[in-house]
Amino acid sequence: MSDWKQNLQKTRYVMDVLLLISFMLVSAPQATGVPLHEWISLFFIVPFAIHLLLHWNWIKGSFKLLFSKVSAKARFNAIWNYLLYLMMLLATVSGFLVSVALLPDLKINIEIQDFWSKIHHDSATLIMPMLGIHLALHWNWIIKLTHRMRAKSKANASSIAKKQANI
Amino acid sequence: MKYLQYHWKPRLVSVLLVSVAVSLLLVALDQTSWAQQINLQGYSHGENEGAGPNIPSVLMYILPFLKEIVLIGIPMLITLLFVKLFGKFKHKN
Repeated sequence: MSDWKQNLQKTRYVMDVLLLISFMLVSAPQATGVPLHEWISLFFIVPFAIHLLLHWNWIKGSFKLLFSKVSAKARFNAIWNYLLYLMMLLATVSGFLVSVALLPDLKINIEIQDFWSKIHHDSATLIMPMLGIHLALHWNWIIKLTHRMRAKSKANASSIAKKQANI
Repeated sequence: MKYLQYHWKPRLVSVLLVSVAVSLLLVALDQTSWAQQINLQGYSHGENEGAGPNIPSVLMYILPFLKEIVLIGIPMLITLLFVKLFGKFKHKN
């Protein structure tokens, strides 16, 4: 698995796995506690930004996809990605606006509105099924890359075993 | 990380600028009558439940992740099924 940095698809795969793990951590405030949830949310921006950067070419061409002759799946995927991005922004922004730990720790005091509490709860819940659909739309790629990553790690393990046997 | 480092600064600035602009638009939602109505009605989530549910403490750490797996997994499976059926239907025609 050491060569993943040299391959765009593998880099995307590793970073997407990290994004999914951090998303699952961020989305479980009942398990992590609210203060940790808020701090992890702040750092979650990094893997999310990396995800966008690694799909830059798609993002650049995505607006054209909406108006060109492409399959229904490709068009739906583009619209869905935009909606998911909006929902992610809404959950993040509303999360900052209902912060009870992060912002007070940074000496920023805001008045929490019930509206933002509701929006944060609803958008954070809605993101999960939206993410499920997003993953399903890229399922073939996920399976293909999982096989490639596993094949490579098996090959590495067997070559190490051979080298050790020769020593 | 050569793919990540490629033109990362202008790209990140673009992403941040768009995100900040959209976020500012989203923040303006609290000026709407919809927001004012919710603020007047009030909203609470899981704050008036007293000591919390009577379940083993280890489950308190597991259940939120289980909830996520269900909320992500079921729509994912339904979509996969739909895509597969749609594909079969398309091949027949």
